[in-house]
Amino acid sequence: MAGHSVMNELILMAHVSFGVGCLIATVWVLVETLNASAANRRRIQLVSRAAALCMWAAFVIGGYWYVTVYPADKAVILKGPWPFAHKFFMETKEHLVILLLLLATYLPIAAAADLAANPAARRVVLWVAGLTVLLALVTEGDGGIIALGVKVGLLTR
Amino acid sequence: MENSALAKYTVSYGLALALASVVNGLLVVAKESSPAVQAGMQKLTGHHWVTHSALVLGLFFLVGWLFARARGGQGLRLTTDRLLAILVSGVVLGGLIIVGFYLISD
Repeated sequence: MAGHSVMNELILMAHVSFGVGCLIATVWVLVETLNASAANRRRIQLVSRAAALCMWAAFVIGGYWYVTVYPADKAVILKGPWPFAHKFFMETKEHLVILLLLLATYLPIAAAADLAANPAARRVVLWVAGLTVLLALVTEGDGGIIALGVKVGLLTR
Repeated sequence: MENSALAKYTVSYGLALALASVVNGLLVVAKESSPAVQAGMQKLTGHHWVTHSALVLGLFFLVGWLFARARGGQGLRLTTDRLLAILVSGVVLGGLIIVGFYLISD
């Protein structure tokens, strides 16, 4: 944003897209688990793995961006009218996302069971998927506020 | 036929997730409160956040693996209610530590 190359913008878009991919896949797992049967067992397992893979991709790409590109944005935010976009929203996001990665990584482990025949495993998957969706929405919202923090910082330069 | 037993990896990595979540929050407090801790983490990988992530993820995988090897390789046993209580409490507590810390620290 603050004088970035097109590649940097693509990296940021990939980070967000994989995060949304994780969110969609997890909602899919949640709905399939509510209707768990022998017919959708394999699908639940595959989609839960896709959620984890998307989250790992979002984490690695976002981590690269955060370490190499974000310092320029951070300077803009801190000098602008919305310093809280970094001081609260980015600071919490960069650590909540580790929690999100843990949850998404655990999802396929919990979903490996036969959820139609095992109500205990089904409950665990529902809780983990629910927490993952909630946290994914929070971090997506954080990302939006951080982007606005840069925007208002640039507009008031 | 219904089965109510949880697989050993569900229990072991569920407990590891709860533990790693709380440690993640405590590590935030430690590095933000102590410049020496943050500098040490920065020195290890070049960026404190990279070190932070590696420590928490490493803890999750290591503890999950160790818990799965407990009881002669059968893994730890817990009821579903107990596992869910620990897992959800750990995640919520870990999140609240992070959000609470940055709410009051600035």
